[in-house]
Amino acid sequence: MPSGPNGALSGRRVLELAGEEGAYCGKLLADLGADVIKLEPPGGDPSRGTPPRIQAGSGREESLSFLYMNTSKRGVALDLQQPEGRALFEKLASSADLVIETLAPGTLEGLGLGYENLRQANARLVLTSISGFGQTGPHRGFRSSDLVASAQGGAMHVTGEEADPPVRMAGSQAHVAAATVAAASSLIALLASSGRGEGQHVDISVQEVVASVSHICGVGKWLDDGIVSKRQGTGLFASVPSGAYPCRDGSIYLMVNRPLHWTALAEWVHEVTGNEEILDPMFEGPSSNRLPYREFLDLFISDLMSRLRVEEAYREGQNRHIAVTPVHSAAAVAKDPHLASRGFFEEVDHPTVGRLTYPGAPYRHSETPWRIYRPAPSPGQHNREVYCDELGLSEAKLRTLQAGGVI
Amino acid sequence: MSQGDRPSNEPRQALAGLRVVEFSAAMAGPWIGRFLAWCGAEVIRVESRKRPDVVRLYVPPWDRELGIQPRLSPWFTDWNAGKRFVTLDLRQPLAVELAKRLVARSDIAIENYSAGVMDKLGLGYEELQQGNGELVMLSSSGFGDTGPCRRYVTWGPNIEALSGMSRLSGFPSRECTLTQYAYPDAISALHGLVAVLAALDHRRRGGGGQYINLSQYEATVAGFGHVMMEYLALGQEPERMGNRSRSAAPHGCYPCRGEDRWCAISVATDSEWEHLCRVLGKPEWQSEPRFASLAARMEHAQALDDVIAARTRVRKDYELMTALQEAGVAAGVVQNVEDLARHDAHLAARDFFEQIEHMAKGVVTATGIPLGLRGTPGHSGRAGAGVGEDNDFVFGSLLGMTPDEVERAVAAGAIEPADEP
Repeated sequence: MPSGPNGALSGRRVLELAGEEGAYCGKLLADLGADVIKLEPPGGDPSRGTPPRIQAGSGREESLSFLYMNTSKRGVALDLQQPEGRALFEKLASSADLVIETLAPGTLEGLGLGYENLRQANARLVLTSISGFGQTGPHRGFRSSDLVASAQGGAMHVTGEEADPPVRMAGSQAHVAAATVAAASSLIALLASSGRGEGQHVDISVQEVVASVSHICGVGKWLDDGIVSKRQGTGLFASVPSGAYPCRDGSIYLMVNRPLHWTALAEWVHEVTGNEEILDPMFEGPSSNRLPYREFLDLFISDLMSRLRVEEAYREGQNRHIAVTPVHSAAAVAKDPHLASRGFFEEVDHPTVGRLTYPGAPYRHSETPWRIYRPAPSPGQHNREVYCDELGLSEAKLRTLQAGGVI
Repeated sequence: MSQGDRPSNEPRQALAGLRVVEFSAAMAGPWIGRFLAWCGAEVIRVESRKRPDVVRLYVPPWDRELGIQPRLSPWFTDWNAGKRFVTLDLRQPLAVELAKRLVARSDIAIENYSAGVMDKLGLGYEELQQGNGELVMLSSSGFGDTGPCRRYVTWGPNIEALSGMSRLSGFPSRECTLTQYAYPDAISALHGLVAVLAALDHRRRGGGGQYINLSQYEATVAGFGHVMMEYLALGQEPERMGNRSRSAAPHGCYPCRGEDRWCAISVATDSEWEHLCRVLGKPEWQSEPRFASLAARMEHAQALDDVIAARTRVRKDYELMTALQEAGVAAGVVQNVEDLARHDAHLAARDFFEQIEHMAKGVVTATGIPLGLRGTPGHSGRAGAGVGEDNDFVFGSLLGMTPDEVERAVAAGAIEPADEP
């Protein structure tokens, strides 16, 4: 069944031909009410095996990231290597608003299912392709991964400690950011398609998305000051003070950008530690005034924080309107009373793993509430629903296709 | 249509005809409008001299003597190119009235002031939608508009720490690993963009307007949710893996010749492993039991990284990347900004970086907007607008105020004077 009537995107139909590079794009749209049909090769998408996994009924295991990344979608099996599979895909695409795909550039064209083919049957269709380097250019055929895209896009060079090798962020953030851009761009193309009566091909390059989300260290700044941004620990180059400071039982993160925040912090340090020097007017004003004194001021601030527990530093800092926050573990996020008071985490029932807690809404719409409509599908779970009830195939035909390994 | 004379042969932009009003500062709010403006929406930003945006407090590092230069920050371009700017002192009732009139003629309002400020000013959603039932309004803040911490102050890196990302990223020996680019500002702005566009899609199909609340904390955790699942489902803290993977090996960042030069390599299959060994001139590694299978390579990940690093250390980074890619192995030089802008022929061939007309600097180069809309390519209008740059246009042409009315509003302090050109 298509999703309930209340989502912002209810009535939109999306085909998702995506591995883990694109699954989050489909999730964003599906949790907003779009009918997202995930097309998987027979046997299921390889991302179903991504660890860590949880024991499920009858000796099976389910990938936790797969469970999270595929909420609210319907699952259908389809072998695009077979002519009948390609015909089914064309039929599905002719009534869809959007196709999301993460195959290697040129693969769909090679199958006769590229944008030029698909638009013949459905002029309004938007085809969104997500690939490591994009659909054009000398590197279009290059292999990529979350790590390679993080490196090529300029993010790794400016993450972590100067003394360490470059490092990527946890949780495949290059892919997550690219999938989020893909969702936004798809929606822009759909809005334009409604106006123009014509869809388009959207070409998302993960490398470009990484360069874009890391633009603070990017070309504008570099051309301005001639300094190539590098790794420099937890403090940010333009903000003094900024960074992680150890407390008695953990760490907090502190950042000062506004003149008033500095004044409040200096007073706090002075009150607790008796430090007089920190009150010197030479340290006042915007961060740029304090840039030469970063290490010096860090000593004063470390003295304050080392006397406090994380909770004390957090609450007292915020009472004084200073941007102080704890450096949270996963457990601390899961137990954060603020998130609990907003009901952020959601319980989702799954037929084989039972009831689990999932992170919830990234945004809250007043009239079309975000929700998880259903747990991630099992392989081919909605074959009959989609192929027979909606495409009108007979039961006999379905069995033939199954016997032939098409679905 | 918004700024600039467009060549007449240019295709209509995707969001032409849409009007957006921004009550916003720094990056997390403005970056949303930046994308909308790039797609052809008319984005009008409300500012006040009484509370300047951090990005307006820019002191050029190349000439500190110049002092504060509100037009010159490269981030002002990155977050605000293509927008219009008006000045209103929203503590004045007349200014609030004008802001309401502006919103009444717009499709979208975006705000990222501290929680509760818009309500206090009389510009909350309840108020604004009375003049515009079709309004889509997004309110973005660190903690969202409810809950015990809703008034807390945060910047992007605070959210990185708060979301668990900085503690779970990086090498096992490090307690806290941060990006230098305030990643949560970017990822929560992108989520905000999705939220606004979905609401527009709903409205286009007759659903009317609505209010959207975004907590940067929650949006960042949502994009990190698959990592959180390990704790939520199994009760265990996810381990810090650095550049390693739980389903591929070797998988890391390897040193190359020169200072701070590295190449990232991801090997998922046995055939890729075979190609890697060949490119590194060590086919004999394939017959080593400790590297014979993916499981074995994962078990001996450290030894594997050590022997690979010994071979890559003498190679030139781009040469190694090319050799591996030609052999079908995912590899990429760890590029810095200079590499991206000067040496990446692929980005250049795709015209990724954008040349933008700047009102004080001539033409500036900026990081591209990666929306990849082939049918309706966007572009950035002018950068470097002064405070109040578009007061005359917006209050005069758009709201239809007479010069007398504008003058009275200026005299009353509701409209603040614009910067000298």
